Amino acid sequence: MQASRARLFKEYKEVQREKTADPDIQLVCDDSNIFKWTALIKGPSETPYEGGVFQLAFAVPEQYPLQPPQVRFLTKIFHPNVHFKTGEICLDILKNAWSPAWTLQSVCRAIIALMAHPEPDSPLNCDSGNLLRSGDMRGFQSMARMYTRLAAMPKKG
Amino acid sequence: MVSEDNVNGDSVSVEDDFDGDDYDYDDGGDYYDDDYGDAGDDDDDYGLVEDDDVDDPGAMVSRRPKLGYTVLQEADIKQRQEDDISKVSTVLSLSQVEATILLRHYNWNVNEVHDEWFSDEERVRKSVGLLERPVVDVSDASEFTCGICFDLLPCDNFASASCGHPFCRECWQGYICTSINDGPGCLLLRCPEPSCKAAVGPDMIDKLAPCEEKEKYSQFLLRSYIEDNREAKWCPAPGCENAINFAVGGGDFDVTCLCSYRFCWNCTVEAHRPVDCETVTKWMLKNSVDGENVNWILHNSKTCPKCKRPIEKNQGCMHMTCTPPCSYEFCWLCLRAWSSHGLATGGFYSCNVYEAEMQKGNVDAEMRREMAKNSFEKYTHYYERWASNQSSREKALEDLNRMERENMEKLCNVQCTTMSQLKCITEAWLQIVECRRVLKWTYAYGYYLPEHEKTKTQFFEYLQGEAEAGLERLHRCAEKELDKYVTADGPSSDFDDFRTKLTGLTSVTKTYFENLVRALENGLEDVNSTACNKTVSPRSPASPRSPTGRNGKGRGSRGKESPRAGGSPKNVGNTSK
Repeated sequence: MQASRARLFKEYKEVQREKTADPDIQLVCDDSNIFKWTALIKGPSETPYEGGVFQLAFAVPEQYPLQPPQVRFLTKIFHPNVHFKTGEICLDILKNAWSPAWTLQSVCRAIIALMAHPEPDSPLNCDSGNLLRSGDMRGFQSMARMYTRLAAMPKKG
Repeated sequence: MVSEDNVNGDSVSVEDDFDGDDYDYDDGGDYYDDDYGDAGDDDDDYGLVEDDDVDDPGAMVSRRPKLGYTVLQEADIKQRQEDDISKVSTVLSLSQVEATILLRHYNWNVNEVHDEWFSDEERVRKSVGLLERPVVDVSDASEFTCGICFDLLPCDNFASASCGHPFCRECWQGYICTSINDGPGCLLLRCPEPSCKAAVGPDMIDKLAPCEEKEKYSQFLLRSYIEDNREAKWCPAPGCENAINFAVGGGDFDVTCLCSYRFCWNCTVEAHRPVDCETVTKWMLKNSVDGENVNWILHNSKTCPKCKRPIEKNQGCMHMTCTPPCSYEFCWLCLRAWSSHGLATGGFYSCNVYEAEMQKGNVDAEMRREMAKNSFEKYTHYYERWASNQSSREKALEDLNRMERENMEKLCNVQCTTMSQLKCITEAWLQIVECRRVLKWTYAYGYYLPEHEKTKTQFFEYLQGEAEAGLERLHRCAEKELDKYVTADGPSSDFDDFRTKLTGLTSVTKTYFENLVRALENGLEDVNSTACNKTVSPRSPASPRSPTGRNGKGRGSRGKESPRAGGSPKNVGNTSK
């Protein structure tokens, strides 16, 4: 408990110090609970998520960093490795390939990389995965872009 | 077939001959004998089963090769593991730790390690995580920031694997403990640095883990030597910690552990000769199909196609990865290797292979239909008999133990005789235990015997009936009649006659069961050709009093010399010493 708190506090200070270091990621710690974080990440360019801002919720376990944080999308997203309803993310570093040397910041970077490079072979969202697998890039991109517009962009006028 | 390293240590090499004529009920008996008589040189004594198939030119001999297996106790396992590690360490000029990591990675297959290493050392080093030199040089710094807790600490607080990535001892300890408490996957531990593949071996565990975890780790390492080894399995008897090393090569799988539990090495169910594994699995499944647990497992899980552990799929995609150290990747739908999937099989979630199987008739569904079809009465008939032989066998085992614990000595005193003269009693009980086992499984066999094969069914039931009747006679004699002599006031005049009778019954019963086993293992094939001979033979055993009974008709009727001629007088001889 103490170790995880100390480590999260260090990450918190690091985030404060380097607020502008990565313009694509904005990590915010819950005011009252250092084990709850949220992040806003920008959809990577040249992907159907470009222009969108996606919110992630982190639940950090007490054994952190020996155990990975639980991360899910709060913003709806159409992506093969993200559960369409729950926002659960299928990413190896959040499961068996976790290493305590990862940080919340680097998890965000890994998720951005996953958005740019979906892994349709192990999908949580089968519709999305099947579109990609069948080579229907146009279908996939327009679906993904539509949901980006609907859910991840500020409503116009 | 017993490999040469079987002779080392205390391991017991067992060379069983599995040809049909030598279905040796004495196996258990011999073991007991050794145990009482001359414990210590077991190795040699097991050889006594070897003399056989010389006289038997039958087809069965060529069909079934001789197989060897070795019972390993904890010390033997350790010894073998150490020997293998030393071997690899010497041949490849590696440290013991490196050799351990390497062997674990290749499932303790020494030959494979050698082959892989000499064909491409660099690739092996890379995939296993054995670095020749550190990738980061930190020798001249006086303090570091730990990559896990981010504390800045003096350099003597740090440790690193062969790669040199520094982490503080406290974080190392947390990292290692978490992994060890997660299970045997800790044997594949790597450096915490995400991009680094350097293996974390037993030396690091030794240096950094607390005692309790060290102990766990060494247990995992030892268990891995059996569980990840293609040629070894644990004895499934409750509380038994021995393992059986089996020379894989098809054929018969019956093995006897030192704890005297007999089981089938192939399916790890208790020994079920002469019935095959498939029938046994079907039968056991059928028996337990009402059990809530099994039902749940059947409906909600599948077994890993590689390591056979049941897996519940509770989330995510069809791409399954079994827990380490198995780590097998497969498709949940068709249970084939994930690597075989791609566009050719129709995609990853609508797996074509699976669809095709479904159309042909899925296994589970077929089984359920079959169960509905089979009449319940038929099943109950066979089940009751199967189960009652099962409990009868357990009871007999208890009786045997009690006999040896209490009654034998009493009997010695009452009847003024020597222990060696009472050997025939132990032998009779061992025979009963073994026959109950065989008889039990013949009911599973009978249940699956096709109903339209009338002749086979009749023949089978005849053999089974004869064997069962013989066994009942023997059982009654050993149970009821013996009692009289134990409780007698002084030496009984007819005790010698009783011994002769018991010995005779034992060998007659043995013959019946040998016939039964042989017939079943032959798939009742000689039902047409030798049925006549056979049906005559069991009816004409010599009177139970004659110890030569077993040598006679059972075998003679098949027109063959008794291949166990050397063995049978041994029984008699023993009893009349």
